[in-house]
Amino acid sequence: MSTATTILTSSAPTGETAAAVEIRDLVYAYGERRALDGLSLSVPAGAIFGLLGPNGSGKSTLLSMLIGRRKPDGGEVRVLGEALAPKLRARMGIVFQEPSLDPGMTVRETMHLQGRMFGLSRAATGERTSALLERVGLDDRAASMTATLSGGMKRRLELARALLTEPTLLLLDEPTLALDLDSRQNLWQHLLEANAHGTTLLLATNDVHEAERYCHTVTLLDQGRVVAHGTPAELKRGLRDDAVRIDWNGDPAVDAASIASWPGVGTVRVAGQTSHVTVDAASPFLTRLFQEAGGHITGVQIEHSTLEDVYFQLVGKAITRDGAPPEEPA
Amino acid sequence: MMDALNAIAGLLVRDLRGFFRSRSQLYSSVFFPLMLLAILGAGVQDGLDPRNIDDYVTFLTPGMIVMTALFSSTFSSATYYQDRDSGVLRVLFAAPHSQRVVLLGKTLGSVVIGIAQALVVLGVAAAIPAIKFRWQYGVAQSVVLTVVAVVLLNLFLSGLGQLLASRIRSMQGFHLVMNLVLFPFLFFSGAFFPLDHLPIWLKLLGRINPLSYGVDLMQVALYARNSDGYFGVPLDLAVLGVLAVGVFYLGTSRSVSLER
Repeated sequence: MSTATTILTSSAPTGETAAAVEIRDLVYAYGERRALDGLSLSVPAGAIFGLLGPNGSGKSTLLSMLIGRRKPDGGEVRVLGEALAPKLRARMGIVFQEPSLDPGMTVRETMHLQGRMFGLSRAATGERTSALLERVGLDDRAASMTATLSGGMKRRLELARALLTEPTLLLLDEPTLALDLDSRQNLWQHLLEANAHGTTLLLATNDVHEAERYCHTVTLLDQGRVVAHGTPAELKRGLRDDAVRIDWNGDPAVDAASIASWPGVGTVRVAGQTSHVTVDAASPFLTRLFQEAGGHITGVQIEHSTLEDVYFQLVGKAITRDGAPPEEPA
Repeated sequence: MMDALNAIAGLLVRDLRGFFRSRSQLYSSVFFPLMLLAILGAGVQDGLDPRNIDDYVTFLTPGMIVMTALFSSTFSSATYYQDRDSGVLRVLFAAPHSQRVVLLGKTLGSVVIGIAQALVVLGVAAAIPAIKFRWQYGVAQSVVLTVVAVVLLNLFLSGLGQLLASRIRSMQGFHLVMNLVLFPFLFFSGAFFPLDHLPIWLKLLGRINPLSYGVDLMQVALYARNSDGYFGVPLDLAVLGVLAVGVFYLGTSRSVSLER
């Protein structure tokens, strides 16, 4: 069994695997607005599967449907080979996007309530609680009220609670939102451990780096529809190598259409006083950029292209855009 | 079935633990009715010298027990909002049970807390020398009748609290509605003054008021002498029973929104 200090990396499940989640033509609407619009996807058992898209793309709505909080308006959902039913949730766990701890309960009480809700025996709950709290580094805080935990500790407790029942499928709704880098990495170590023990992870996120780094397969969503699907490497195939972010001292001195006409340039997107350009190679592009508009530039940042660039190329908008319609958390 | 009972028991234990940890709720729920009993009871008894009631402090006690049930049910139902806002309700609904099981566990917590509080008030009141319960059916039978009334009232009020909480989005709105509806109900329930000397329109309001039947039942058990009460014990039990089961069922059936 792995310990918390073991460094794990994400590796895709091998061989033929059954689907942990199978969705066909799923439709769900909030009034007139369709949150899921004929969505179809298949999550292989044992995978780390990412649903990547901006707020309002339907990720959280889908997760809330999988735990039975919403009923589909149309389409078919099968989880772990069965149609949705309350008893199926005994084999599922979830970490919600928003905090979900009772501030008036201790860490151990939180775990024990979960055990009772899922029909575990007192002995099994006690045994697993001790092991899990040790694994997530909260064994010395077992008697503490959850209100006294830090943000990172609360997240780890929520994860430990979700893992208490040893779920076959773990749903994660932006689990690292608002966590610092250390806490994120720590949480992902535990998630990778769970995956190494056979738990399928279905991650809803708008963090492209997280999806790219940890997910075996990523589905890009826009307005409740699948835009693209594949491994991060497959999705990025054909994309320009580098992404250049340019900060202007006012409105962009060179307009997007002009930049797009330069040789080696892929996509160009502009947000306020910032331009984001994908290019074959950053050096020749920057040489020309500084020749034409060097005096108007306050900063330049070069990185490898990400799934964000893939998304923009396919949808024409950014994943982490401002002003997106809010989506109710799962 | 066993899993559902286990979940309900888990939720009950959680709510009871939360109640006992909340010292202010624990003490105020018992002291407030007793304080009112002392101040209002002695004030009216000695200051106003009511002619229709020979022992106003004792007469007032059943009303104070009903008020305790009312307060505790309101307060416990408000934990629905705390659970919703803390995200706990989301987690509970993700367990492998129907929504009804979860709501049943939560509502049962408020029922048990309400019953315990009401019985503490009854016990303390019985020990106060100035309060002279008449126990017209004998102590044991009268206590049983009082406990039945307390249980039925708490089932009804907790169900009503849950029913309102599932429809009203904000806790402020919930308290406003509970106070607006239930306080007037308490005033013309016979808790503070007997219904039989009131004008006809107040008598009518008293008759359609669910709390009147609880007050009547307790007054029959604790205060009355050679009387089966204003409505009569069978009618009291029938009305309270139907309301308790019906409203409790409705309160735990309603689909709950997790939106704030």
